[in-house]
Amino acid sequence: MPEPLHHPASYRDPSGFVFQAGGIYYRQVNQSYAADYEKLMTSGLYTTLVKNNWLIEHHEIPENLTASADWYKTLRPARLDLITYPYEWCFRQLQDAALLTLAILTESIRQDMILKDASPYNIQFPRGKPLFIDTLSFEKYDATLPWVAYRQFCECFLFPLYLAHYCGIDTGKILTAYPDGIPAGITARLLPRKTRFNPGALMHVHLQNIVRPTTGAGKTPVFSRQKLMHLIQNLKSITARLKPRPAPHSAWSNYYEDTILSRQYLDEKQRLFRDFISGLPFLTAIDMGANDGFFSLILSEKPEVSITSIDADAACISRLYNTIREKNIPNILPLCIDILLPSPAIGFRNNERSSFNDRFRAELVVALALIHHLVLAANIPLRDIPQYLAALSTGWLIIEFVPLEDEKAQELIRNKHRWHLPYDISSFEQYFEEYFSIGKKSKIPGTERILYLMKKRNS
Amino acid sequence: MIRAILLYIDPGSGSYLIQVIIAAILGVAFYFRNLWWKFRSFFSKNKKDHPPKNDSENA
Repeated sequence: MPEPLHHPASYRDPSGFVFQAGGIYYRQVNQSYAADYEKLMTSGLYTTLVKNNWLIEHHEIPENLTASADWYKTLRPARLDLITYPYEWCFRQLQDAALLTLAILTESIRQDMILKDASPYNIQFPRGKPLFIDTLSFEKYDATLPWVAYRQFCECFLFPLYLAHYCGIDTGKILTAYPDGIPAGITARLLPRKTRFNPGALMHVHLQNIVRPTTGAGKTPVFSRQKLMHLIQNLKSITARLKPRPAPHSAWSNYYEDTILSRQYLDEKQRLFRDFISGLPFLTAIDMGANDGFFSLILSEKPEVSITSIDADAACISRLYNTIREKNIPNILPLCIDILLPSPAIGFRNNERSSFNDRFRAELVVALALIHHLVLAANIPLRDIPQYLAALSTGWLIIEFVPLEDEKAQELIRNKHRWHLPYDISSFEQYFEEYFSIGKKSKIPGTERILYLMKKRNS
Repeated sequence: MIRAILLYIDPGSGSYLIQVIIAAILGVAFYFRNLWWKFRSFFSKNKKDHPPKNDSENA
């Protein structure tokens, strides 16, 4: 068996750690966590949480794969195809993750256990719904103590949601700047003055700013189960009632309604798209610049396919997430990622949370109505784009070429006097032919735009 | 203007002191809420006006 690779993000918890061996992820349980682990498994808590689809399921492996002296058990959790981070989620995804954390917390306390941390990194979205993945986060509940993870819950979940609610700041942007949570002091200063009169904000934000910890002798505060349940209930009702403050009209919100192009364009494009994907044997897809997810939803009609829908606009991704929750669509994961500013690798040694580039690959990459934004608006030379898309795709590419004469392209260059050349069909095809072979090509009737289906060349 | 309350040690990590204060506030709030519900249910024959059985306190 190859040498197990200890996952870099997993070093912080002495109870155990995640590692990879033979391409499979495992979680080792250390001796120090043995009692808590057994309580989790035998008390019925694990069973309940897994039955509710709240906690990731795992199997126990009897071998000590890492040959460490501290070994107690090895767990093999259910496979996750893609890891995403809270700074890539929209408001409602963060909110759902927060509510799941509180729901698990409540259930745990019923079984005499408690969560020792409340971090959004403990949650993933494998089937479009939040799932708690940190099996070692449970510990025996001591009713005389308050919740050790309360501050973390506030800084990572509640405060970003508050800032989105009152100030209209994207939760993703806040967590990009503060990946380990935004402190109460800063949150208090950013929130409008009127929040000092809101009971929830007063208690959870402003109070932490006013009351300062002190060193020196002090009594241990007295707490109780009932007090904790009141606190959790309060957090639940506050969290559930927050809504993202609508941003000023976003440029992409009504892209297809406002389009100067005809209704015919959308219908024809849809017809061609369906034709291109029928019979194409792909199991994973990335929809780049997905907007409201119109084409992602078409892809999701194939139940065997997993789709990741990416757009920089949080309002669009929010709408798509609302749609998939309402309609219970399990195979789309919407994410707020700007492909011009994709998630970097962060954490200790830039190694704890991996970059967008390292995590995202798909058999089919869909890049509709995108290329003119990259070249004409973002000034990325046309020549550099095929290589980028070839790195993302392991199979096919469906891409729409938007010529310079197109109304939308004209809008983009209206106030510019220079943009990257060449930008025309023959150069487009020439550059892409280096990395892909063009399979199908079709003009979208009603426009001068061309839809391509390409296959990646094996190098 | 509230002055800083310097009584207990706050372990820093969990904001224990804050939780104690919040729990106290909520305790008062829940007390009056239950009082109000009992008052309301006394006058109403509607089932929905009676305090819910499965309250957070019974968790």
